[in-house]
Amino acid sequence: MKKLVSLLLALMMLLGIAGIASAETVPAYDGSEVTITFYHTMGSNLTTVLDQYIAEFNKLYPNIHVQYTSVGSYDDVRDQVSTEITVGTQPNIAYCYPDHVALYNLAKAVQTLDGYIDSTAEVTRADGTTEILGLTAEQKADFIEGYYNEGLQFGDGKMYTMPLSKSTEVLYYNKTFFEANNLKVPTTWDEVAEVCEKILTIDPMSIPLGYDSEGNWFITMTEQLQTPYTSATGDHFLFNTPENQAFIKEFREWYQEGYLTTQKLYGAYTSGLFTSTSEIKSYMSIGSSAGATYQRPAKGDDGNYPFEVGIATIPQANPDNRKVISQGPSVCIFKKDNPQEMIASWLFVKYLTTTVDFQAEFSMASGYVPVIKSVAQNPAYAEFLAKADGGDYVSALSAKVCLEQEDAYYTSPAFNGSSTARDEVAGLLTKCLTIPDGSDVDAEIQKAFNEAVEKCNYSL
Amino acid sequence: MVESKQQWKAWLYLAPAIVLLLVFTVWPIINTVVMAFMEDYSGLASIGGETSFRIGLGNFTKVAQNADFQSALRNTMLLCLITVPVSTVLALLIAVALHAIKPLQKALQTIFFLPYVTNSIAIGMVFAAMFNVIGSVGTRRPLISSYGIINDVIRFFGGNWVNWINSGSDYWANMFVLIVYIVWNALPFKILILLGGLTSINKQYYEAAKVDSTPRWRVLWRITVPLLSPMLAYVIITGFIAGFKEYTSIVGIYGESMGPVHAPHRLNTMVGLIYDSLASNNQGRASAAALILFGIILVVTLINLWVSKKRVHY
Amino acid sequence: MAEQTTRVMQARDMQKTSIQQKIASFLGKAGIYLFLFLMAGIVLFPFYWMINSSLKSLAEYRLSPPTFWPNQVLWTNYADAFTTANLGTLFKNTMIVGIVSTLLSLVITVLSAFAFARLEFKGKELLFAALLATMMIPGELFTITNFATVTNLGWRNTYTVLIVPFLVSVFYIYLLRQNFLQIPNELYLAAKVDGTSDIKYLWKVMVPLALPTLISITILKMMGAWNSYIWPRLVANDEAHRLITNGLRNAFTDTTGDVNYPVQMAAVALVSLPLFLVFVFLRKYIMSGVSRSGIKG
Repeated sequence: MKKLVSLLLALMMLLGIAGIASAETVPAYDGSEVTITFYHTMGSNLTTVLDQYIAEFNKLYPNIHVQYTSVGSYDDVRDQVSTEITVGTQPNIAYCYPDHVALYNLAKAVQTLDGYIDSTAEVTRADGTTEILGLTAEQKADFIEGYYNEGLQFGDGKMYTMPLSKSTEVLYYNKTFFEANNLKVPTTWDEVAEVCEKILTIDPMSIPLGYDSEGNWFITMTEQLQTPYTSATGDHFLFNTPENQAFIKEFREWYQEGYLTTQKLYGAYTSGLFTSTSEIKSYMSIGSSAGATYQRPAKGDDGNYPFEVGIATIPQANPDNRKVISQGPSVCIFKKDNPQEMIASWLFVKYLTTTVDFQAEFSMASGYVPVIKSVAQNPAYAEFLAKADGGDYVSALSAKVCLEQEDAYYTSPAFNGSSTARDEVAGLLTKCLTIPDGSDVDAEIQKAFNEAVEKCNYSL
Repeated sequence: MVESKQQWKAWLYLAPAIVLLLVFTVWPIINTVVMAFMEDYSGLASIGGETSFRIGLGNFTKVAQNADFQSALRNTMLLCLITVPVSTVLALLIAVALHAIKPLQKALQTIFFLPYVTNSIAIGMVFAAMFNVIGSVGTRRPLISSYGIINDVIRFFGGNWVNWINSGSDYWANMFVLIVYIVWNALPFKILILLGGLTSINKQYYEAAKVDSTPRWRVLWRITVPLLSPMLAYVIITGFIAGFKEYTSIVGIYGESMGPVHAPHRLNTMVGLIYDSLASNNQGRASAAALILFGIILVVTLINLWVSKKRVHY
Repeated sequence: MAEQTTRVMQARDMQKTSIQQKIASFLGKAGIYLFLFLMAGIVLFPFYWMINSSLKSLAEYRLSPPTFWPNQVLWTNYADAFTTANLGTLFKNTMIVGIVSTLLSLVITVLSAFAFARLEFKGKELLFAALLATMMIPGELFTITNFATVTNLGWRNTYTVLIVPFLVSVFYIYLLRQNFLQIPNELYLAAKVDGTSDIKYLWKVMVPLALPTLISITILKMMGAWNSYIWPRLVANDEAHRLITNGLRNAFTDTTGDVNYPVQMAAVALVSLPLFLVFVFLRKYIMSGVSRSGIKG
């Protein structure tokens, strides 16, 4: 009986693949009048940039009308879209995080992009020029690989999303303090422990390092250590391993020694701790590269910053296997009955992701980094990067650091339940770090891991 | 003759309400019941072509087996059993006090109404900030940047600060903050109803008490409470119903993790369980959780009604 | 003589007790005020904190430990909350939805409450109990089905979708029925004998008598329009129909997806203010509305 079922399944999969294969040959855009809707989370400073480039896009494709809605937060977009999918009124394009797409995929509502990307069909633009519908080899190569691959992490090797603008985590440090005390900026976790110990002897009233996201921390450690976290297929929740328990145990020791803290453990933004002018402060802070301005202290009464901010790549477990998280919005295209709508959506997405000027301006306005390498040659962006410093142009400094570590980006598998896993490991980390001395630490850690996996499995 | 005329007239008058309720309340309820018996039913998956959901009690057993189920049930019960009496007694005292004064009565009445017009999530954030201890608590070298304004007040009066909501905090400290917040939130409506009731009590009862020079608390217990009993019953019953639906206040203070950092989910409630399942689009399980909650509310309300039948004076 | 002395003594005693009573009553009053001020302080405190936060810069808001009064008072947060959202449209939409839904809701509530209070029909008790039972169901689960319903009806992004689904409130029907029950049935029977129509009777007798309750329903309903968030966001989030809470909340996510909390606090304060003023001015009506409905099981 079981065999029969698996045979049937295999047969269905074959048929399914055949079905998709036949859909791979995408027709070209025929110039028809279509209106496409776009849900995002942009604030008004970014929609100004978007407006400008929609106008530019319309010079090439006057019949494609783009209507966007600023829905609220990322979670709001997810809730809105997933509800709309149930009645078939989803937008054409939406901002997305991988776990959102995994949710939409329950309904098979997201259009895979491989057919468009590979298409060589010619499209005529309003100014008389032509382009191919897909991406040229140069365009493909221009994408920062780690960002581009985010679209491929859904377990079936297909491309579901395009990166729009990205951020990562970077290590902010108090450059003034580091230089005054002749400290070396840590590049590995071992060095972090050393530096923290030294900082505590210099300033016992400090918590040397603040890490703002517990979830990112756990997941990044599994990537750096190449230990299991989750899988998009099969058994999803793989993070309950001795190796992971071991690194958690070591971090617990560090936390108990007062080397570091996280946003939730500290009870306030770690960026606030880093920029604090009161007695208790930190000298290093790991946070989003897009939030660089929050890591800069407020100017003093003399009009100067109390200290200069330095930015470096986050500490690594293994210098030969550098890993930093890739985050920030991607966009996905939803299936629609009218193929021309989907093609028009693709053309717009392609325009936003591959147009150097848009990527440059959007990045400068948002604090995110562009997803294509050639933006570095854009004069305005080059000028922006050239100004990078630890004060007024701290965003440029952070962007610069991001661009220098483009080989290290990873993304974790996405499936329905991946956001639960993320929440659970974040809770797990804080739970384990706070296990008090005198209790059976190993047993408590084991228990916390078991509970987290159980909770994850329930969500399925 | 009159009877039958009244029959169709009654239905005619009720028609708009009934039609709307059928469409926007009864139909969703039917849908909920149906989904509750379809195992792991997901609206998105059914759009995606998944049509064979097993029919059975699977959703109910899954919910009941959830590690959080018992604690959610206990939290919900505890919150109800504590916040309803506390807020009712406080509201009663405030209403009676307000009723007894002349100067400043209106100004104070307005102040007590304030919590009613604010957004509960935003005020939850404010409460969290007031109880928040910032620093590394519970490490070998505790360092504290800020004890939070509540602890500042406690320390000002010479008391010891309390770890209310942060890592390492005690379950009852967590509950205390929640209770304060929920009571704070529940007061205005209760005060409004009870004060309304007080103004409609015949003054003669009090005149009689005055002549006898009965002590205040005795007047309160012997005259006011019995005369207010219908309003009190109403306030208690609706208080229980609202208490069983508690969710946003916990999110407001503890965030989506429904607990302090070292013990996520510890303060989860029944409605929290519904949201847990909705997050992964498992409407089947969410519906089952909702029906379980409905059953509990129904039983408690019936008990409440039965008690009030015996105790309420009309 | 002896009789006289006793009388004097009695009078003295009377005087004494009355002084005692006065002192006791003064102390009692003082105690009452102390209690009320203390409670009022507790009630007001979070509002102080909200206002305090709403005047800070985001950087200062993130500061630890927090400041008890902003180092730099940023009134601009309020201006930001105003300008980033398209406030004119938001107000207009909220008013339209609030007024229309209140009027329709009043009509429906009055008719239903009248039927339940004055008319006899089969299954009345059962129906009323069933209505009350619907109040006990967690509303979260209605959302998905209702969303499908309004979409099928083609109501998305219209005023209709913001108004119609919540016109019936069991709570209001209940409140008004209690009020109607207190109006003597004789009035109705007399009117019947005179041949007055139900509608005329409702309009001329019941509605004026129940006016305070109707006013409190109006205010609660307007508050609903003012504070509703989840449903409007889902079904009518277009520029032309967006409501105030929704519009104000949307505006605060900054470029990194972070929420600008000080501006959000400012917005919450702004949104609460009109409601608060309504209460201040109509307090009298709300109070008597509640007291007259004389809630009884």
